[in-house]
Amino acid sequence: MDVWSSLMDGFATALTPMNLLFAVIGVLLGTAVGVLPGLGPAMTVALLLPVTAALEPTSAFIMFAGIYYGGMFGGSTTSILLNTPGESSSVVTAIEGNKMAKAGRAAQALATAAIGSFIAGTIGTALLAVFAPIVVQFAVSLGAPSYFAIMVLALLAVTAVLGSSRLRGFASLALGLAIGLVGIDSVTGQRRLTFGQPLLVDGLDIVVVAVAIFAVGEALWVAAHLRRTPLHVIPVGRPWMGKKDWGRSWKPWLRGTAFGFPFGALPAGGAEIPTFLSYVTEKRLTKHPEEFGKGAIEGVAGPEAANNAAAAGTMTPLLALGLPTNATAAVMLAAFTSYGIQPGPQLFSSQGPLVWALIASLFIGNFLLLLINLPLAPVWAKLLQLPRPYLYAGILFFATLGAYSVNLQAFDLVILLVLGALGFMMRRFGLPVLPLILGVILGPRIEGQLRKTLQLSAGDPAGLFSEPIAIVVYIIVAIILVWPFIFKLIRRNRPVAAFTGPSEQSARSEAESPAQAGDPTTTTHQKQEKP
Amino acid sequence: MSSIATGLKGRAELGVALLLGVVGVLVFLDANGLVTPYSQSDPVGPKTVPFIVSGLLIICAVLLAINVLRGGKGEAEGGEDVDLAHPADWKTVLPLAGAFILNILLIDWAGWVISGTVLFWGSVLALGSRRYIRDGLISVALSLLTFYGFYLGLGIALPAGLLEGIL
Amino acid sequence: MTIVVGYVPTPEGEAALTQAIAEAKKSNETLLVINSSKGDALVDNRYAQGPDIQSIEERLADQGIQHIIKQPVRGHDAAAEVLDAADENDASLIVIGLRRRSPVGKLIMGSVSQRILLEADCPVLAVKAD
Repeated sequence: MDVWSSLMDGFATALTPMNLLFAVIGVLLGTAVGVLPGLGPAMTVALLLPVTAALEPTSAFIMFAGIYYGGMFGGSTTSILLNTPGESSSVVTAIEGNKMAKAGRAAQALATAAIGSFIAGTIGTALLAVFAPIVVQFAVSLGAPSYFAIMVLALLAVTAVLGSSRLRGFASLALGLAIGLVGIDSVTGQRRLTFGQPLLVDGLDIVVVAVAIFAVGEALWVAAHLRRTPLHVIPVGRPWMGKKDWGRSWKPWLRGTAFGFPFGALPAGGAEIPTFLSYVTEKRLTKHPEEFGKGAIEGVAGPEAANNAAAAGTMTPLLALGLPTNATAAVMLAAFTSYGIQPGPQLFSSQGPLVWALIASLFIGNFLLLLINLPLAPVWAKLLQLPRPYLYAGILFFATLGAYSVNLQAFDLVILLVLGALGFMMRRFGLPVLPLILGVILGPRIEGQLRKTLQLSAGDPAGLFSEPIAIVVYIIVAIILVWPFIFKLIRRNRPVAAFTGPSEQSARSEAESPAQAGDPTTTTHQKQEKP
Repeated sequence: MSSIATGLKGRAELGVALLLGVVGVLVFLDANGLVTPYSQSDPVGPKTVPFIVSGLLIICAVLLAINVLRGGKGEAEGGEDVDLAHPADWKTVLPLAGAFILNILLIDWAGWVISGTVLFWGSVLALGSRRYIRDGLISVALSLLTFYGFYLGLGIALPAGLLEGIL
Repeated sequence: MTIVVGYVPTPEGEAALTQAIAEAKKSNETLLVINSSKGDALVDNRYAQGPDIQSIEERLADQGIQHIIKQPVRGHDAAAEVLDAADENDASLIVIGLRRRSPVGKLIMGSVSQRILLEADCPVLAVKAD
């Protein structure tokens, strides 16, 4: 249980030449993917799943972690130089970052983003190393009822909180659960949803599902809506910062980290909310309020630190509980399963060396990213000149290759296309993809816990509430589900309570603030149907 | 004209509701068809969760249909490289899907090197590149590289198909 | 009559523009500046941005040359755009800038200049950057 010595063992594993090589490949790929339009870390990890099946799990996860962190670094580059935030987590960075770049301070914006990401990532990873074992200690004491409740919470939180339409989130979740049902029932050996098709008996390979939804669906969707307006990268030299920039950056970095980590660790917390909170906080605390909206360095430093700390936070529930809270983590969880590794609280004891090597590699990856991002930023920007036909044809090519190589069956490619079309349709009609993926991955595990729970209570539904933690979790679930209705009620009653005046006004703008996150400059996020 | 177009678009989203409903009914029928004796060790059985899922699907289908009919609309997903200002460009998507299907048909018979070349070259073409020679060379190179890369690096033998014996 | 010049913000492009201005002055014709992009990459450095275009605009106005500046983004390559413009305006001359290239490089990359030279219906003046 000694964190320090385990971590040192982890470093010993992660620093072997082979694993170090995979860390380097991971961060290079991750940065490239973050910079390139249309590719994200989730899609990349999904595309690599089949290829890495032949690798040591440790090496594969070291590479995946590099991709995840690298994507966060790379995303900030396009936000600043092009004002096109690829990931929702760097939307806020673009607000001040692009203004700075336009004012000729691109080098400083990139520098504060990179150094802030490094610091936040390092602190976040340290917090992960400290907290994950504590969470595990707590989690191993939980029985099936609590575990069932927590997984239900994770699913519902992601479904109900993210995205603009809860209804569409649930539709996506239900589809995912249905896909997860396909195959032999593990308890009774019954065939479910196989329609007499022997190739479906083993269920749909999660690799194929992930590749279809993230890669094929996305490539087809982007192909249908290719942007035709060419942009110009704001030319930039080597990123650097002056003394004054350091002075203005370090506090936002730390505050951003403090926002990012806990939100990353929460189901459905994600990176969007903490980046936004960080931005608002910096705007309030700054000594240079006149610069906000015109390129204030605090507005880049804080949010960038927040999104990297959130990335580290995400790893906590993933490693300690086997709960993914965003798309990349979901695909990494799929990777655990495809290696036959059981994710969950037992992971730390059963796969201790792997987990600690992974955590150590996060420290290493962060450092590597700082090294390759500071001097190479102009080179990364060149990637943006890659013609789109090659980019998207390449995605389809590698998606096909990967899905086919899992079982060497052309049938898998048919499934790939069908689910790819589903992914396209979901993007077209605003169904979020994350609930679907979580449904596919967590569905079977939830069912397992449910059956275990009721087996213990001999079929009595009261068994679901037999542990205090489970009850607490159900109360939270209830609050999440009922919250919007309460919210609506309060709103409806507002005009009546008009005499409260100004305070009402401020409360309302507070509540609406997430919608304003994209408002100052970015156009990628449009809000629909304001209630 | 535009009112007809928006009317059609609204109806297109009803297709999503229909899909959800159909999947929901399928899941229900499939679960209903399972025969399981009650067992003390597994009181939940293999049917319960499918029933819940099918219920969720059907409820979502109905609510979505109501939502769409009342003018609700899903927000299409944006992105760095996505321009939602123009409608879906089927002239790109359908040939792309065509290249994909061609690959499925060819892969077992003609082998990966040929089918992969067709896939990449066809996709690049569908996406609007017109440098036929360069694209062709890249396609062949990619397919060959991945074929040997998978064989030598990962020990996965992709089908050689028609080129069996040459590769 | 019109003189069409294919412009890109590179030394070759600048050379072509300078030459085209001289030609337009000599024959007192309208100058049509074409700066196109296929629009197939997120970033295209050969597509001139606002300030560049503005400075060309000013330069042409200062010299008293009748001019039109077009920046088509229609998914066609530069050769097609220049040839189209020449056809539509019944051009008397096309001015382009040339790069040095090896025969093999040209085989793989294709050549915008070559296509214009081969397919144009009017004289083509090709200049090199100095």
